[in-house]
Amino acid sequence: MSRQEEYAGSEDGRGVSRYLRVDLREGDEGHMVGYAPAPAHLRGPHGGVRAGALLTLLDNVGGICAGLAALPDGWVVSTNLAARTISLAQTGPLRIDADVLRRGRNNVVTAVRIHDEGAADALVADGVLTSAILVPENGPPHHRRPLVLDAGPPPSGLAPLDEWLGVRAVAPDAVEIDLADELRNPWGILHGGVVATLVDIAAEHSTGGVTTDVVLHFLAPNRVGPIRAIARSLGTRSDGEVCRVEVRDEGGHRLTGVAVVVARVTAQV
Amino acid sequence: MYPPDEHVLRDLRFTFEHSVDGRTSRARLPIVPELCTDRGTARAGALSTLVDVIGGGLAATAAQPNWIATADLTLHVVAGAPPGSVVEARAEVLRAGRTTVVVEVVLVDDGERDVGIATMSFSVLPRRDVNPDMREVRGSGPTTMATEMSRLRAPLPDALGIRVRDASAGIVELPVTDWSRNSMGAMQGGIVATVADVAAEHALRAASGEPLVVSDLHVTYLGFGRVGPVRTRADVLDVAAGHGRARVQIVDAGAEHRLMTLTSAVATRGLGS
Repeated sequence: MSRQEEYAGSEDGRGVSRYLRVDLREGDEGHMVGYAPAPAHLRGPHGGVRAGALLTLLDNVGGICAGLAALPDGWVVSTNLAARTISLAQTGPLRIDADVLRRGRNNVVTAVRIHDEGAADALVADGVLTSAILVPENGPPHHRRPLVLDAGPPPSGLAPLDEWLGVRAVAPDAVEIDLADELRNPWGILHGGVVATLVDIAAEHSTGGVTTDVVLHFLAPNRVGPIRAIARSLGTRSDGEVCRVEVRDEGGHRLTGVAVVVARVTAQV
Repeated sequence: MYPPDEHVLRDLRFTFEHSVDGRTSRARLPIVPELCTDRGTARAGALSTLVDVIGGGLAATAAQPNWIATADLTLHVVAGAPPGSVVEARAEVLRAGRTTVVVEVVLVDDGERDVGIATMSFSVLPRRDVNPDMREVRGSGPTTMATEMSRLRAPLPDALGIRVRDASAGIVELPVTDWSRNSMGAMQGGIVATVADVAAEHALRAASGEPLVVSDLHVTYLGFGRVGPVRTRADVLDVAAGHGRARVQIVDAGAEHRLMTLTSAVATRGLGS
């Protein structure tokens, strides 16, 4: 039984969103707030919450915010996600604020910021999510408004994020996961936050540093698996090593994402 | 006629080459002192303008028969390009979908060394009569918009008329002129990135006390700057030894302070050339 199946069978529910435990509250028009703990299973080797987990929170709260803005015409899929991690050490709980910057004919742009309520509201991450408006086959999801979603009580004893995803190193510059059902979103494709986490882990595996900045373009859905992320170093600057990471659906034989990542070397953390 | 005789895209003296299949394009930018910061290498904004021109042209081709609007531009610079060098931008379509086009642009110098990497995404829009037909600009061999008289006569920020109002707050201001308009009559996207570059540089230098230069820009385009003056404000997010990060808002002050772009910028110590 995989770590995800073990988790899926528990009372804690299933899926990426529940692993993160985000409570959602819809605010004024175009505003969404998420609250999430900063538990041990989301933290990386540097002690802070992994960039991949922060990106997943950004994608999750920003995506719901964008989706509500797209109603009644349709719902959204993430097309690109850009974020900079400002604070690498967090106390938690985290507050995620998403605001619609622009609602166009076929996309929604959302600003998303994460603050650490346990550390005098320090800014943890600053990002922008762009989402494309699509009309799902069975229509957009129905939500009671204003939207309120509670994740339930925090779980205990969860495996660290990389272990929970089943990440394995397949080369000095590449990591891979299988596409387990629990990692799929409601549309049946790999959750965007998992793609972001795979990018984060590939960059860290390749550079030995800590991911701080990510710009990720989702190019195609990951449907088959295994999903592989391959990092290539472009150069080193005073803020860290810059690398390009591409994500491929090996079973689907296609490029599904491209990211540029800045990873701070451990001595700088 | 676009661009007019006196225009930044002519004065930058680009040359272009487009593949027949419409999947790739190349552009070469000769680096002159007017394009460089006081640290002696090409300004990120100048490289963004190169990226915007070549990426936008390629995306417009990929979207045919429809047209495009730039949604965002990201640039990461990893090596400095000094005066006398030539930066080549190699653009490739990564995705051409019904609603979105994504283009990646790799920047290399004349020694095939990585200078930087950029990505751009575009929204696909219905074509209007004013949009150019990209089939006319693709095909045979290298082309340029430069005339014999085209050249920058002042450092790029000065040529744009940028005035610094408050360096530590990253407040700069400039007019929207015909010299820097795009074919839609608004400030050209790469020039908008240059304005963000200048604003972030001032704010982060003031905050850090170090002569940092902008090395990353992530520009989200939200609205056109048609009226002017265009005005910036920068919020410094963090500063550490050798680098800092800022968020820059640009508004069209003459159009009820309409938000034009939100930019996230990183500045680092000068990049080796």
